[in-house]
Amino acid sequence: MPRLLSRRGFLITGAVLSGTVAVAATAGVGYLATVDIDGPDGFVDGEVGVLNAFVAIYTDGTVTVSVPKVEMGQGIHTGIAMLVAEELDIPFDDNISVEHPTEILPVYGGWASQLGIRPEEASGPLHWLGRRALGAVSLVSTGASSSTYELWTQLRQAGAASRHMLMGAAAERLGVPVSELTTPGDGTVFHAATGTRLSYGSLALAAATVPPPAAPALKPATDWRLIGRPQPRVDIPAKVRGRPVFGMDVVLPRMLHAAIRQAPVSGAAVARVANEAELRDLPGVVDVVVVDGHSVAVVADSWWTAEQALWQADIAWTPTEWDDLSGAELARRMEAALDSGEPNVVHDEGDPFPDAPGRLVEAAYSAPLVTHACMEPMNATVLVRGDGTAEAWVSTQSPTSARWGVFRGAEAAGTRPDDVIVNVTQNGGAFGRRLELDVVQQAAYLAARHPDRPVKLLWSREEDIGRGIYRSHARARLRAALGEDGLPLAYEALVAGQSVAQGMMGRLLPITGGGSPEGDFLTSEGLESPHYAIRSQYVGSYHVPSNIRVGLWRSNGFSHNVFFAESFFDECAHAAGSDPLDYRRRLLADSPRLRAVLDRAAAMAGWDRPLPPGRGRGIAIGGAYYSVVAQVVEVSVAADGEITVDRVFCAVDVGTVVNPNQVVAQMEGSILWGLTTALMSANTVENGAIVETNFHDFPVQRLRNAPRIAVEIVASDALPGGAGETGVIPVAAALGNAIFAATGRRLRSLPLAITESVGERRTRSVLRTEDA
Amino acid sequence: MVRFTVNTTPITLDVPQDKPLLWVLREDLGLLGPKYGCGVAQCGACRVLLNGESVPSCMTFAADVEGAEVVTIEGLAAPDGTLTAVQQAWIDEQVPQCGFCQPGFIIAATALLESNPAPTDAEIDDSITNICRCGTYPRIRRAIHRAAATLAGN
Ligand code: FES
Ligand code: FES
Repeated sequence: MPRLLSRRGFLITGAVLSGTVAVAATAGVGYLATVDIDGPDGFVDGEVGVLNAFVAIYTDGTVTVSVPKVEMGQGIHTGIAMLVAEELDIPFDDNISVEHPTEILPVYGGWASQLGIRPEEASGPLHWLGRRALGAVSLVSTGASSSTYELWTQLRQAGAASRHMLMGAAAERLGVPVSELTTPGDGTVFHAATGTRLSYGSLALAAATVPPPAAPALKPATDWRLIGRPQPRVDIPAKVRGRPVFGMDVVLPRMLHAAIRQAPVSGAAVARVANEAELRDLPGVVDVVVVDGHSVAVVADSWWTAEQALWQADIAWTPTEWDDLSGAELARRMEAALDSGEPNVVHDEGDPFPDAPGRLVEAAYSAPLVTHACMEPMNATVLVRGDGTAEAWVSTQSPTSARWGVFRGAEAAGTRPDDVIVNVTQNGGAFGRRLELDVVQQAAYLAARHPDRPVKLLWSREEDIGRGIYRSHARARLRAALGEDGLPLAYEALVAGQSVAQGMMGRLLPITGGGSPEGDFLTSEGLESPHYAIRSQYVGSYHVPSNIRVGLWRSNGFSHNVFFAESFFDECAHAAGSDPLDYRRRLLADSPRLRAVLDRAAAMAGWDRPLPPGRGRGIAIGGAYYSVVAQVVEVSVAADGEITVDRVFCAVDVGTVVNPNQVVAQMEGSILWGLTTALMSANTVENGAIVETNFHDFPVQRLRNAPRIAVEIVASDALPGGAGETGVIPVAAALGNAIFAATGRRLRSLPLAITESVGERRTRSVLRTEDA
Repeated sequence: MVRFTVNTTPITLDVPQDKPLLWVLREDLGLLGPKYGCGVAQCGACRVLLNGESVPSCMTFAADVEGAEVVTIEGLAAPDGTLTAVQQAWIDEQVPQCGFCQPGFIIAATALLESNPAPTDAEIDDSITNICRCGTYPRIRRAIHRAAATLAGN
């Protein structure tokens, strides 16, 4: 049997919750007073001293850190453990573990990133409001590359406060002043005068009732033993043994299995299942269900049985207004929007674009819809009890979103959001996809029909790639007026795409149709180039709706817009007769941080060393999530157009680094993610439906397509930034720029190549000969 | 009825002959290491050793394993928990990110080193066709070389 979330997780968080309730009862002055923003006081629960909302120490000396951040591959559980271990002064070994709590306390709410700042950057009323108001809402999620910068101070404080409480308990026990005690870093409190050593485990229960310090002092950077030094990941030993429990691996007593077919044309409803009676008679089939009117699910004693039954299902769908929609038509609509001349202005700085520009550079670009294809297909396991209470086991980026999903799916059974407990499992990749609640809602709908039996719904890969959620497509027109020195005097970028905010808000929040599509920053982010010294900048966007569901996707709008902008500035450089590196250096005259990163990437790549014919080098830079990444891509292009990405050089400044090993891993992963999308992957629309179904027609990179990657971290003592997404941003442009350098051809449509099969599961990429 | 051994345990099961081995392992035997990633022999997340060969268990059927020896990721380490050279190399190179694809990669690498104890990068790239969406490919290459060196005794 797999180990589900451990008993400890339930125990601590259950107890912590009652702590919060107690605070509320004594305060009793209105709702806000019940929001315990600093977490509960410590308490003892059996063999564990719970020191605060984050840190619990067992009498055997093991330490559990409770933080609602999801491990989805980014290594955050290791970073969390490092921050606490650093201030708690314990060795970094398997005595420390990280658990995702099942109860969401206000103190866990990621309020700062919701305000678009880092916690340390808020003070006074903003600080108070953020913690009170957004803490009360307690929206908990893992995304926007925010975990490290959200938790940077909070978790070190939790560790430092815990250490202070342990020392207080030791002082009491030894009858000596705290000032005579030290923590040598091995999980003990030491009294030098008597040579006495007390283990944290022996102090854990007593420490729980020591008053925490109001403002625990944090170690200066010079004293760090862990932060900034590569540490092995806490989750890897289990992962090489095949042990971690992903959502798909949840097994519960009396569990039923479900498979689903969603409408090919998103928005269509089920007209009928012609052979429903036959399906019900198949051995092992328990139920055939029309879910929310839009999908058909089979519930059975095995997923294989359920999925097989659906292969035989004869489903008729209702007609929709989208039935004739094609990708070509959507492209036409985006072009028509761009022609209309009335964008939502998202950025307007300096003089208007000159009517008679001296030297004009103009170009049009496009990017397709593309899905996440997380390695673990979408799934959720939900139990709805006869009394309406419910529990879910989900690989989700947001337990609060999952809770809402269970409520929506099981509302008819009397389930309220407060009746739902969400157990968060390991995520087999997420990339923004697992903020959605679609699969949770469907599973809850099915579970509500089978009270007291958990139902695990697993989407086939075909549902994931062909009936899922996509990064928006986009088409853009960019132009620049170059001055005497060849640099742009004015820059204008217009983009048309489908608003992600509108769709997502309606799907995820307790309001319908929320989120304005007009001027959605997710459509245009990355087109503004604030770091470049260009006096006049104008960015506008257009929202072009469709029935396709678009959502968050690793780096969102940056993923296509920085391709557009950084390809375009390369075009400007060539128009001005400048070297692309030198051109960007001049544009970055006022941005020393970015320039240093750019220079590092160029130096890594040996930018000045010429390459033989047929090979080329391209450079690009991007800044987002408080981090900066510059990359140089080196390619070879054969006479028949076959392109090989040989090497990628990546320089990154993420501010203060917690675990360098993980920053490097995130850069490697981001580069491969970005290259896959730049070269290979696209979703296309025919007859209102997505065409691609599985990895044979939605190609992704494999080992044979993966380049050599070198990553260097540019040292910084600034506040931490995000590392999970910024690395995606420049790579497509650096690739396109390298192709131009190798061939003289400027490719402006993603994906840049056509994928050809050269054997089973083996492909090569051949450059496109015309733009899409 | 199908009879085979899984991780050295003899198994006799009454399952449909056309049930994929992946679902036999996951649903009937509770071995959750092999993952479903595509169901059509594209991604490799479901790979297991079948008589020492790496095969996609999603396209291997109950009827195919009669009398065979199947090893899953759970069965690689020694009974006392000692990891194989490949698993240890995976830790030493800090390969996994989300980890979902990794059982399939470790199985594929194990089979590769069995047949080719010192593969070049090109041989690794050509023989290991699994998919990793997190982008662990550079570390997988390094880990395979490291495991090869360990197995060669240096
Ligand atoms: S699940 Fe078998 S190869 Fe993908
Ligand atoms: S580690 Fe996540 S898919 Fe490979």
